[in-house]
Parts: sequence; C-alpha cells; structure tokens
Amino acid sequence: MNTFANLISKTNLSKSSMDNNDEPESIISTNTKESTFPVIETRGLSKNYKGVQALKPLDLTVAQNTICGFLGPNGAGKTTTIKLLLGLARPTGGSGYMFGKDIEKENDEIRRRVGYLSQDPRYYDYMTARETLRFTARFFYDGPRKEIERRIEETLELVGLADKGDRQIKGFSGGERQRLGIAQAQVNYPDLLILDEPAAALDPIGRRDVLEVMERLRKHCTIFYSTHILDDVQRVSDTVIILNKGTLVAQGPIEELLAWDHATCFTLTVKGDSAAVEARLRNQPWVIGIETISKNGSVCWQVRVSDPDTAEAQLVPLALKSGGVTVCEFGRKAQKLEEVFLTIVKEDNHER
Amino acid sequence: MSANISTLVPSRNHGWSMGFANMLGKENTSWWRTRRWWMQCLVWLFFLNGLMAANLANDQYPEDAIMNYLYVAGVVLPIAAIIMGMDSILGEIHSGTAAWVLSKPIKRPAFILAKLIAYGLGFLPTAIILPGVIAYLHLSVYGLKLPLAGFVEAMGLVYLNLLFFLTLTIMLATLFRGRGPVLGITLIVVWSWMVPLSTWLADVMPWRLLIALGENGALPPMCYYLLFNLPLPTVAPIIATLLWCALFFGVAIWRISREEF
Repeated sequence: MNTFANLISKTNLSKSSMDNNDEPESIISTNTKESTFPVIETRGLSKNYKGVQALKPLDLTVAQNTICGFLGPNGAGKTTTIKLLLGLARPTGGSGYMFGKDIEKENDEIRRRVGYLSQDPRYYDYMTARETLRFTARFFYDGPRKEIERRIEETLELVGLADKGDRQIKGFSGGERQRLGIAQAQVNYPDLLILDEPAAALDPIGRRDVLEVMERLRKHCTIFYSTHILDDVQRVSDTVIILNKGTLVAQGPIEELLAWDHATCFTLTVKGDSAAVEARLRNQPWVIGIETISKNGSVCWQVRVSDPDTAEAQLVPLALKSGGVTVCEFGRKAQKLEEVFLTIVKEDNHER
Repeated sequence: MSANISTLVPSRNHGWSMGFANMLGKENTSWWRTRRWWMQCLVWLFFLNGLMAANLANDQYPEDAIMNYLYVAGVVLPIAAIIMGMDSILGEIHSGTAAWVLSKPIKRPAFILAKLIAYGLGFLPTAIILPGVIAYLHLSVYGLKLPLAGFVEAMGLVYLNLLFFLTLTIMLATLFRGRGPVLGITLIVVWSWMVPLSTWLADVMPWRLLIALGENGALPPMCYYLLFNLPLPTVAPIIATLLWCALFFGVAIWRISREEF
C-alpha cells in the first residue's frame, strides 16, 4: 500500500484548510473562497450492508471545476459512494460534505445543486423526453414557464435529442435513454454532475458524443463520474480516484497517476547485431529495465529509465556507438492509464 | 435560443412538501393523461353496474341488488387498490425510477403523499362516483327511491374501505421489497371477514362497513343503515378505519424516510 501513499496524498487541494474548519458550511457563498475548497470531501465515509463492508473508511476529495474519473473494478464501491453522497443510502460511519454541506443533515440543499445520472437510468415510459425534462426541471424551478421550456429545448439540443423530444421514452434505444439521462442531469444548471457509468450502454459514436458533452459542460460545473472505460478517463479527466474492494488506492491529477512509479519508458527499435548494444544499455545507471520484443528481423526495446532527459539525449548515440546496428524507430512511450490502473489494482490485491 | 438562468425562479419550497406539487402533477398525469382512467371506468361499470343490471334483470329486489352492489364493491375494489397501490411503490423501487426521483429536491413524505392523493383522487370518480350515479339512476328506474344523502354516505363507506386497503398496501410496499408478502397480507385482510373471529373484530376493522358479519348476517353492514335512513348502531368501525388509514400512512412515511436505494 505504501507504493500508493504518495498518490493518495497528492491532491491539487489544500486539505489542511478544511481540517482547520469543522463546519465548512460558510465556504460556499463567495466564488473566490469557494474555488479553494473541494466540491466533494469525505472523511472516513463507510458503508456496511448486512455485515459486509461495501465501503471501507474513505477519504476522498474532488476539486471545483474539474472532471474527476472514479475508477474501480466491479464491486469496488463506486456506486455505493455515489448513493451515499446523494442521500440514497445512509453511511455506517464517517462523514461527507458536498459544497461544504453535510451529506446526511443537509442533503436537500445538496440535491438542489447536483445533477445525477444513475448506472441504469429508468424513467416513466409513458412520458416523452420533453415531459421528462419538464418534470425534472419543476423540482428546481417554479417558473416562468416560458424560460423552463426554453431551457428544456436547449438541453434537448445539447444532447442531440431535439428531433425526438416529443417521442415516448418507451421507444427509446439504450443510447437515447443515456442521452436523456445526461439531459435531465444537467437541466438545472448543476454545480456538480454525478454520472454513474455515463457511456456504458453506448456505441463508439454515442460514447464520443457523451465525452464531447462532458467537455462542453466542464466550463460550467464539476463532473464526478464513474466508468470502466479507461481511454475515456485519460481523454477527458483532470483527476482520477481509484477504488479497489471498498478501499481508496489512488487519488490525484491524471498526469501524476500516469507517472506513478517515477519511470519513463522509451521505445528503441534497431536492426543488426543487437546483443552488444543491449548489454551496453543495461550498464547505464539511469536504465531501470529493458523489455525486448523481436519481430521481422528487428528488435524493439522498451527501456524504462529514471532520468528521461539523459535517456533522450544518449539512447540513440549509445546504440550507434559501435556500429553494426541501424536505428529504425525511437521515441518516448506514452503511459496508458489502463496499464497504471491494472498495475495498481493488481498490486493492491497482492498486498491484501 | 438560450435560457436565461437569471430569469428562472428557483423553487423556494424547503419544507416537508418540497417537490410535492410536481410529484402530484406527475401522478395525476399518469391517471388522467393515459388510458388508465377510462380503463378503470369500464372495469367498474362492467363489474358493479353490470352485475346489478344482471341481478335486476333476474327479478332480484332492487333493495337486494343495491346491497349486492355494495358487497361486491367491498371485496373487489380493494383488490384493484392493492394491485395498483403496490405497483405504484414497488414498481418504482424495482425499476429504479424511485431512486431517480428521490435524487432530486423532493422530500420523501411528499413522494408518498402525492401517490396516495393521486390514487385516492383517481379512484373516486372512476370507481365510486360514476358507477354510483349510474346505480342510483338504475334503481330509480326500477322504482327504488333511496334517500340521496344516505346513498352518498353509503358510497362514502365504499370509498373509506378502499382507502383503508390503499394505505395498507402502500405501507406494506414500503416495508417489504417483494410483492408476495404485500399481496399475501392484504388479501388475507380482505377475506378475513369470512372467519368467525371477524365478529369479535367487527368494531375495529373495516369489514362491517359494507359486509354483513356473523351467522345469517347477525351484524348488518353500516351501509345498510345509511342507505335506508336507519340510526347507526355504532360508529366505531368508521372511526377505527380512519385511524387505521392514518396509522398506515404514518408508518409508510417513517419507513420511506429510512429506505435505502
């Protein structure tokens, strides 16, 4: 677990500022002050279901105006956490704050500022998309009717359902339901959007559209979303939180997560007598490890290094130094979130 | 076209009724802007008025025909209230729409109250007033001129009986996650008037409102007294049924407030 300790502590928020104030209620009114405080903060939040600990004491923080990807294998506790935040389930222990308000005592106020899309969104089948949005909007606004209708129209357009607004939901495809889900979640101009698997039921085009909508909304609100699609997380998220078996295993900005073991990897592909070159590379103090893949008469090395600048300057000259090889390809290998995620989860499982 | 957030008036209701008006509007829509209302009308016209018409056509006395009508209303209407009331709560919990709605600014008691009122108001014209008016006119054609006030009061007892089973069902639907226990318990209560013990409980249960209890109908139903302008021997079953309704509603609110989704 120590491996991840630095990541868990790395957050772009000043947690100590919250620690000095047990009643964070006063923080939300002014914009300048609010921006320094988290939108979501939990302290030891936990949940047991019939003796089974679904969520172990959880300390997480989500900053304002960020897109935060909430990751974890099935059963990690993501949906439980979301339900606790929304007051749909009661915590067994700990506390949580959204906009500085207590999730148990002030949940009515919290729900006024949140838009929520559930994992498997269900609506009233006899309603049309427009009626569903009208029903949702009327929980938040008393009027005027014209403005509400304008907002509904605008929301339908945003999610690409403008031409299907008057169709009954029972005829909607999974993708259309998901779009409607995003529409109803943001019809009230929420300060925080909580999306549980927003792209799970979508085809690649639908997924792309959802990500585009999220990118458009990031200017206006914080987005906290759970997903299994790690490519999407890498594409749009600012920060990432990883849960495994009800425990927080990593939390921080995505760049830091991608560099979590402080190693950078370079790819070097050569043709010719590669054995001597490989031995020379392995002797360099800044080389952590080399993985070799041979194919079509060439050798591809994935070289993990501790000093990227030196490696970038010296890897090719070292390979060419004694002659006998030709460098076909050289570059820095992009770390994929999927690799990091799998490594973190695997190591965490191993340590248990 | 862009909505102006500054001109949208945020909902100011922060009390127990937060979200109630919107929820009630939605529930009323589900009754009156779908086929539900006319289906209900057709079903009750067929069952209640159709049966009475058949009895009158078979030379049954009009007095007996109306008592039969009230008896059938007393045992069949609760079944509709049970099925629909159960679906209104459990159907929403199972499908996930309850969790969706309750993630919006609405108080949980308002969620239950809106359903109770909408279903109560839905059944009133479709299952009580319309069949009742037709029955009254029908009896007049057969020469039975019942006192109007007494007839309305008797219909009131039909409605009270229905509300008892509606609130009981809603309460049980908040207590149990499965349809089995809800259906089982409510149907047992509906039919318990048949067991001998029912005469002991006649004053504290709703059965005697519409059904004669005891051997050879030793305890005539309350509606009989009202219908034929006779003094009521007791008001205990009416008071008890009202109290049961209040209790069931209170328990339903307590339970839904603790429900986890």
